[in-house]
Amino acid sequence: MSTTMTPNAHSSGGPGAGVAVRRRRMDPGRMTAYAFLVILAIIYIAPMAMLVLTSLKTLPEFTKNAVSLPTSFAFDNFVEAWNKANFPRYLLNTVIYTVSSAVIFVVTGTFLSVAIARRFVRGGGVVFTLFLIALFLPPALIPQFQLILRLGLYNNPIGYILLFLVNPIGIVILVNYIRTIPVELDEAAAIEGCGYLRYVLQIVLPLAKPAIATVAVLHAIGVWNELVLATIYLTKSDYYPITRGLIVFNGVYGNNWPVLAAAVLMIAAPMAVFFVFMQRYIIGGVTAGAVKG
Amino acid sequence: MRKLIVIFVVALMVAACGGGATASPSTSAGAQPSDGGGASTAPSLSGTVRVLIHQNPPFVDFMGTFNEKFKAKYPGVTVDMAVVNANDLGTSTQTRLTANDVDVIDIFSFSNAVQPYMKNVNPPGWQSLIEAGLLLDLTDQPFVKNYDPAAIADAGSFNGKVYEINLGRVGFSGIYYNKDLFTANNVKVPTTWSELVAACAAVTTAGVPCMTAGGKDGWPIFVGAYGLFGAAYPDQAALAEGLWTGSVKYTDPGFVELLKKAQIYGRDMMESGASGLAGDAAPGRFASGAVAMFPGGTWYGAAIETLKPTFQWGYIPFPGSDNAADNKYMFGKYDQGWAIAANTPNKDAALAYLAEFSDPANYQAFVTAVGVIPTQPGAKLETAIGAELAPYLANFRLGFELVWNAPKGAGQFASPMQNNMFKPFGTFEDPQAAAAQAQADLQSGLDALK
Amino acid sequence: MNYPFGTGRARAAPYALLAPGILLYVLLALGPSLATAVYSFTDATGLPNSPIRWIGLENYREFLTLGAASKENLDALIRTFVFSLAVTVVQFTLGLLVAVLLNQKLRGTKFFRTLFFLPVILGVTIQGLMWTLFLYPLGGPLASFLGLFGLHSDMLGGQPAEAFAWVIVVQIWSNLGMTMVIFLAGLATIPSEVYEAARIDGANRWQVFREVTWPLLTPSVNTNLVLTIIGSLQAWQLFLVLTGYRAGTQVMGYLVYATAFGQTSGTTAGNTFRQGYGAAASIVLFVVVLAIGLTTQYLLRRREARLLE
Repeated sequence: MSTTMTPNAHSSGGPGAGVAVRRRRMDPGRMTAYAFLVILAIIYIAPMAMLVLTSLKTLPEFTKNAVSLPTSFAFDNFVEAWNKANFPRYLLNTVIYTVSSAVIFVVTGTFLSVAIARRFVRGGGVVFTLFLIALFLPPALIPQFQLILRLGLYNNPIGYILLFLVNPIGIVILVNYIRTIPVELDEAAAIEGCGYLRYVLQIVLPLAKPAIATVAVLHAIGVWNELVLATIYLTKSDYYPITRGLIVFNGVYGNNWPVLAAAVLMIAAPMAVFFVFMQRYIIGGVTAGAVKG
Repeated sequence: MRKLIVIFVVALMVAACGGGATASPSTSAGAQPSDGGGASTAPSLSGTVRVLIHQNPPFVDFMGTFNEKFKAKYPGVTVDMAVVNANDLGTSTQTRLTANDVDVIDIFSFSNAVQPYMKNVNPPGWQSLIEAGLLLDLTDQPFVKNYDPAAIADAGSFNGKVYEINLGRVGFSGIYYNKDLFTANNVKVPTTWSELVAACAAVTTAGVPCMTAGGKDGWPIFVGAYGLFGAAYPDQAALAEGLWTGSVKYTDPGFVELLKKAQIYGRDMMESGASGLAGDAAPGRFASGAVAMFPGGTWYGAAIETLKPTFQWGYIPFPGSDNAADNKYMFGKYDQGWAIAANTPNKDAALAYLAEFSDPANYQAFVTAVGVIPTQPGAKLETAIGAELAPYLANFRLGFELVWNAPKGAGQFASPMQNNMFKPFGTFEDPQAAAAQAQADLQSGLDALK
Repeated sequence: MNYPFGTGRARAAPYALLAPGILLYVLLALGPSLATAVYSFTDATGLPNSPIRWIGLENYREFLTLGAASKENLDALIRTFVFSLAVTVVQFTLGLLVAVLLNQKLRGTKFFRTLFFLPVILGVTIQGLMWTLFLYPLGGPLASFLGLFGLHSDMLGGQPAEAFAWVIVVQIWSNLGMTMVIFLAGLATIPSEVYEAARIDGANRWQVFREVTWPLLTPSVNTNLVLTIIGSLQAWQLFLVLTGYRAGTQVMGYLVYATAFGQTSGTTAGNTFRQGYGAAASIVLFVVVLAIGLTTQYLLRRREARLLE
């Protein structure tokens, strides 16, 4: 554990930061780095570009030649996907489920993680192992279903959100990250009269921003893209998330790729935007508020 | 800590007790004895009918129209219809029936029942549903009489009671073929295996790939050459029993012959790349004229028509034998049907829903929209595929797929579906070796019984 | 450990605040999973009103030893190990490499970062759909590209080994971003003074990495190893979308899912309800994952402890 290091200062990057002069001269190391990244980038862009390309074609165009460039930009696909899949309503539902579960999880998860990482709770190690084990747990679809049913929360947004409040991956990430926050901080805060609750909310939370942002994003992605659980637990159409809206294009995978591609892009877009927004927090290093010295 | 243990135990009990619990309080609420079991004609019905169906665009569209009609006739009733993927239908049915959250369910025909000669097999899903008391007994409902008694008996009954009204049959041992292409290349419509091989050679020489199918999904390759099994073993129930009792073995010369043909079919007739084609993409390929033939089920007929191919097409049985007389059968199965949840709180409306659907006019509209072989005597399939099928309907036989169950412990090649064992779909190159493996896999399950 | 925030009643604060998290865990994860374990010893169907009988280890016997089917199950287990090994090694290394590269202020860092993480955002179904489209053998992009060189491949529809390899590729492609992001977060905790100090001491880039960066990255390394190993051992959804239920390609996760939902025949016929048996299959997978996961965790902890000395 990095407890003996100097407290984290505002760091905007690794080695090389602050040496601005080098920009013009590219040493071979940098060139190889760029070359590698560019090749990898191509491998990443290619399938996505194909999806975008397909979404802009009409079906006959696509059937004739899957890889040709679209002759016109058929935005009709998007309109069709929007209408047929009842996007506005379902999108709202998805947003509600995602945001609620992410917020609740982050809060409960942080309290869990701080207590475990700092061993403020007896048996914290056991709890952590339990959560680790939860990572390995088999999907208990039927018992979970019976539980939610008996709690009366079947076909109920609350029940649905409940399903996502246990996220062992998030706990693992948070615990590992909080361990890097120096212990001296706790003592310093306590000396200044900070209670435990205030300490977590006002000091740990901001410091753990990168981890929390990461966890929030990962959690949100899981909830956003969930289809199987939504199919089982939310049978009233008013409650459907947008993944359920995709069903209208299912079974026509081979037949109507263009519209399917358009629908997929529309579902993915908000999450992509959200991630770009959160990037600042995930990788930004730690911001002000740290204890000096 | 003690509190945690208590919570833990409670949670465990709650979670564990779910399985043995009785379903939520029963149905007698609201079941006014509809006298004489009737379509109460007076539109005094109210409440909601929750319907669960599987995704199939022509069917979904039809249901939209039908629901409008139903609501017009019974203004007090709301219809709440949900659509799920065909693969998820079983799971959704199970969970929604358990939660008593559905009234009318779309369910596939009752097949794969446990035959007397079978031991150590799992009862099929529908049987479990019935034994759990989740499906309503429809035996005395008047609308059942609208249907062909054979269809009701074969596809919807158990222990003498009716639980499902089956809505239609499909054939799957045929080939769609491009009539114009055949004429243009002077190719004779094949009625025997050798003629099929010749036809394929002819079109390939002319530069057109012979066949396509949805190889990626696996089963379309097997289904496509059903005719091979059918020609050699026209009594499929007997084939299933023979395999179980040992009177038929995959290593029998007759079966190995069949596998040799299957290899030729997969390796030489199928276009290269078919193994990567998704099942739903195959009709599109055929309709675009890219291949000469497309072995597949009659359910593709509606899809092909929607795609409006620019050529004339036809449908013939897959000729698995060199004796034309052996190739006259059309093998298929009973497809979808309706059942009602036993615990539905709105039995009258649910029954009225089915009664309305079974009305000959409505049923005929369904048949035309979806393209199944009707199970009501008065209805006709008058679409293009119907016309093509008509000559073979008298020789319709059920495929063994509907009677077959593999014994527990049997390996993956134990079921008579070995068309896709061969390259490029599978890994085998030698029919003899494939037969031996298949028999070993089956034997392994049979031996475990002793 | 020292609790500096008070004694007596104040000492209860952490307990009280972590209670909701624990409660949720017990209720929604532990409870149902224990129920699954119990079910695995019964012949439960998963339907209400069906009689449930205790059958002891019968399900396990069937899954592990009965006939050729059990050999296929064991094959699936081996395949799962292969999958996990391949995915973990490549994904971990590549992820680390990319993170280190992006941690230096190269131009376009933000772009690369977002790009590589994008697949994670899209979720498994979309990842699978994109690659199904991309690997379409009849005129799809990669097929056309290969065609330029006169090569042909059936890719996902090809021989099982080839299809399996492609799933590995897609799995790595899809999850690399996550590994990268976790490493980036870890790298961000290393203050630049440390690097400068090392460089002043005359260390070259590789030495800096080995002696400074790598030890300090231990928490992220641990997180990533655990997540990748376990994630790949349990993976199945990608297989569902990319290959379907194909002989010679199953991994345990898929087998568990297919068994529980009766989809082992590849057709819609034959849907059976066998919750007990499915539960046994999932417990088998659980035991495997548990063994590997705990061993990994133990080894990592030991290494961490040694590093601190």
